[in-house]
Amino acid sequence: MAELTLVEAINRAYAEELRRDDSVFLVGQDIRGGIFPHTMGLVQEFGPERIVDTPIAESGMYGVAFGAAQEGFRPVVDFMFGGFSYVTFAEASVTTGQYYFLHGSQHPLPLVITAAVGTGMRLANDHAMSIHGTFAHHPGIKVAMPSTPYDAKGMMKAAIRDNNPVVIPWHMGLMQERGEVPEDDYIVPLGKAAVKRQGSDVTILANSVQLKHALAVAAKLEGEFDVEVIDPRSFVPFDMETLLTSLAKTSRLVIVDEDWESGGFAATVSARVMEQGFDLLDAPVIRVTLPNLPVPGGYMEEYIAPNPAKIEAAIRQVCA
Amino acid sequence: MNLNKQQMRILYRNLVRADHLNRMMYQRMLQGKLIGFYHPSDGAIAPGVAAASFLNKDDNLSPHHRGHGITHMLSKGIDIKYYLAEHTGKDTGCCGGRSAFHFSFPEHKVYMMSGFIGYNFAPSVGWGWAAKRRNLGQVVMNCSGDGSYGQGRAHEALLMATNWQLPIIFYCENNGMAIHSEISEMHPTEDVSSLAQGYGMPAMVIDGQDVFACAEAALAAIEHARKGKGPTFVEAKTLRIKEHDMGTPDLRGWEARSEEEKLALMQRDPLVLATTRVLAEGVLKQDAIDQLHEEASREVQEIEDFADSSKIARPSEEQLLAAAFAP
Amino acid sequence: MITDYVMPKLAMAMNEGTINEWLVADGSHINKGSPVMVVETEKVSYDVEAPVSGFLHIILPVGETVPVETLVAKITDTEEEWQSLQGATAPASDEKSTPAGAAPVVSAAAPAAALTTARIKASPLARKLAAEAGLDLASVPATGPGGRIVKRDVLAAKNQVTAGPAAAASAQSIRVPMKGTMRGTIARRMMESLQTAAQLSASWETDITRLLKVRQKFLAIEDQLGTRVSINAFIARAMALALKQVPIANASIEGDDIVLHASVNIGVAIALPGNTEIDTRLVVPVLHNVEQLGVVEIDKRIKAIIARAREGALTAQEMNGATVTLSSTAGIAPAGLTSTPVLNLPNALLVGPSTPIERPLVRKGKIVVRTMLPISATFDHRILDGEPFSRFARALHDLLETPELMLA
Repeated sequence: MAELTLVEAINRAYAEELRRDDSVFLVGQDIRGGIFPHTMGLVQEFGPERIVDTPIAESGMYGVAFGAAQEGFRPVVDFMFGGFSYVTFAEASVTTGQYYFLHGSQHPLPLVITAAVGTGMRLANDHAMSIHGTFAHHPGIKVAMPSTPYDAKGMMKAAIRDNNPVVIPWHMGLMQERGEVPEDDYIVPLGKAAVKRQGSDVTILANSVQLKHALAVAAKLEGEFDVEVIDPRSFVPFDMETLLTSLAKTSRLVIVDEDWESGGFAATVSARVMEQGFDLLDAPVIRVTLPNLPVPGGYMEEYIAPNPAKIEAAIRQVCA
Repeated sequence: MNLNKQQMRILYRNLVRADHLNRMMYQRMLQGKLIGFYHPSDGAIAPGVAAASFLNKDDNLSPHHRGHGITHMLSKGIDIKYYLAEHTGKDTGCCGGRSAFHFSFPEHKVYMMSGFIGYNFAPSVGWGWAAKRRNLGQVVMNCSGDGSYGQGRAHEALLMATNWQLPIIFYCENNGMAIHSEISEMHPTEDVSSLAQGYGMPAMVIDGQDVFACAEAALAAIEHARKGKGPTFVEAKTLRIKEHDMGTPDLRGWEARSEEEKLALMQRDPLVLATTRVLAEGVLKQDAIDQLHEEASREVQEIEDFADSSKIARPSEEQLLAAAFAP
Repeated sequence: MITDYVMPKLAMAMNEGTINEWLVADGSHINKGSPVMVVETEKVSYDVEAPVSGFLHIILPVGETVPVETLVAKITDTEEEWQSLQGATAPASDEKSTPAGAAPVVSAAAPAAALTTARIKASPLARKLAAEAGLDLASVPATGPGGRIVKRDVLAAKNQVTAGPAAAASAQSIRVPMKGTMRGTIARRMMESLQTAAQLSASWETDITRLLKVRQKFLAIEDQLGTRVSINAFIARAMALALKQVPIANASIEGDDIVLHASVNIGVAIALPGNTEIDTRLVVPVLHNVEQLGVVEIDKRIKAIIARAREGALTAQEMNGATVTLSSTAGIAPAGLTSTPVLNLPNALLVGPSTPIERPLVRKGKIVVRTMLPISATFDHRILDGEPFSRFARALHDLLETPELMLA
């Protein structure tokens, strides 16, 4: 089994799906040359007809994916940075999310939206923001985010094969994260969470770079708190069953999410836990999120964004 | 390109049908038998009939929102009874009664109408990209009004369509009014089609009240696109006799349009003009015309009967939730 | 105008208080004199009142234990002033003095300190478990944040119940945290007392055979007196008279000073049985100016404060100002028991009578049976030495043995 970086794993997923299915293609801006390495080498194998660069025109670029998906193609549209999807967000969220359902659930829209997201590069807002919560807010769109190279490949393949719009942001902080990635054709099903660490005192729900932080804090606190760590992997559909099963054991929940506090996905999960698992709780749910500030750049994001110290403080608070 | 008599009869027949259906919608709205709103197409049905009457089933069409696309859809061969059922919230509607006044006929490649004016520009690039990739001679008929060219997406679509030489017809039905605003206020040049020059795209300006002139232009642009020669901009100068949408005042800017003004517009009604011509050129006799009107009345009756006898769609929330995602 | 609202010093010995409850919500308008917060101090809870009228801006949340004079809230004249305080003095949290940048701030809004009511705070899980176990939450001591009953509390209470005789076979030890409870306060007070004062204990027996006969006369006219006068009432009366003879025994240390109190205020220790073995409590309400009272009045007042203590209705006035302590174990302890009681600071003296016992005694060369009252007393050697203490003990002894002396 090969040890690959997360972007290499995404690259494998693209190459395998492009080979497997002629209707699959990639569209973006400078994905032939590559701003990020995840599309490197693809144009050489599949040609510019299937690795499509557009002008710097997000609406037109997204239109290629949207229209081609209606025509039965399986596009992957790459916004480069997640914040850039907001340039054509009306189409990418509202029009995309409503297409299948509003028109009588008769005609699928199989497309994948992907982009690099997240803090850690000191790039500030549009280049550092998360998009999963905002997309998850719009019905009709699936949203998942890989935390490991293994998941990156399997999740991207699942998304490409799904008959619905699927948003797969990947975190820049994991770009060079290495992990075992099988050569096989496997998928990571959308909607299944992964229990990454068993524990009995408190459950941490964390994804992507924050999952890495959560696991580090859990290891650090070993002996003091027995921390269970769950990677939701998928936000829509969300694996509520795995979370509630965990809470039946721990009765305490900390949600770590690199989205904003207000209206973020953590708020949704917190509300659902209250609605569906109220009697399981022995303490109020605590969220560790981005404060309601545009993501600052420079050295500020290190302490503004969720980080191990904040996660540890939250664990202590919820276990008090 | 000269039209033959058969083509003229097809166009004339569709014009009659569009006229009857527009009046049906207007009447139903007045009777409270339509959900939501209606944007009447009086005086502006010729461009849509011309754009859609000679499209193949596997050509893409995005109809202009005026008349709720009925003109375009009936001309492309779509049975409007499924649209009226949709517009009245019935379970036999083209979208199961979920879409209000929207529509979707994927098998006819009329995928959608969005509430966003100019929504169609970006997907048109995708449809054109797919048509070019398949190389089967399919074309994309992108119909929209002068107002929609205010959208930045229009620029992106014109840019990419020319860049990639996609088989797209940018068919602008310019009625000179965007809701209440005159085009002279909202667009800097006389013709919207002058935009095409900047992209190196061929363009034509035609009389949008003359269904035959519109069809000649449309057919030329369609043939150009089918041969892989790229996009064309067709601008049909048309007009709007009635208000933007029923229930809002009929204004120019912030003042009411005069009755004299509207009476003058009615003299340019496309059906009046087309009737004069088909009679004069012997394409149709008066009794054939009368018969077309009778047929159109029957069609309206059938459409209304179908919609009115269908059940109101009231699926449960569970059923709707189960329909949110494609399997 | 903005008025500071501080943790008040409600008793001489009060150094710190715990905010048990805010009785009104943050931002509410309060009237001067209306109860605003419940403060637990030492052995009792007080309803602390508003010093002025205005809008309440709460600074410290429920559960905080702070020294007296600590700012706990502000009261503003106007709503605008209240608004201006929002965010300026954030509710206290764990942030304390860590640099702003590095502070592990949880981005969820800090829990509002206010909005507490008389309801029992319990986590959803705790409620469910208690309902399943048939436990009344009111009987479950809370150890969670802000006085919330959490899962561990219910499990502890459940173990307590099942550890009773019926389930002796599966008896389990019980562990209950003391922090934040009255037990914790008592524990701290007792340790403080032992560590602070130079305590010396002595015990002796006093012949109360005659006193009992005198009491019988009081009991014979019980209806007329309106009370069934207890031995304790006589003891309290005797203490007051004895202390008048030995004023140094009616004293306390305040700072670097010894204060000889003008009146005799007897703190009467009362045990309040709890719902469980752990939450039995001890309060020491005060009978003021006992030297001015007869035994009947003393008896009535003792009974009244016992009743109010059991109802939890003691007022701050009734809890304050003890100059000496009476801690009787009569009727509970085995006859003849003596002990070394711990002083109730800052009082210099504690008198602890126990259960009387009949003994053979040599009187005028004959063996007679007399009823003897064992008395244990502890005094603070920092204030009084053996000599004055002995004089007090002798005076008390004489008064009880010869009750007619109380008429003097």
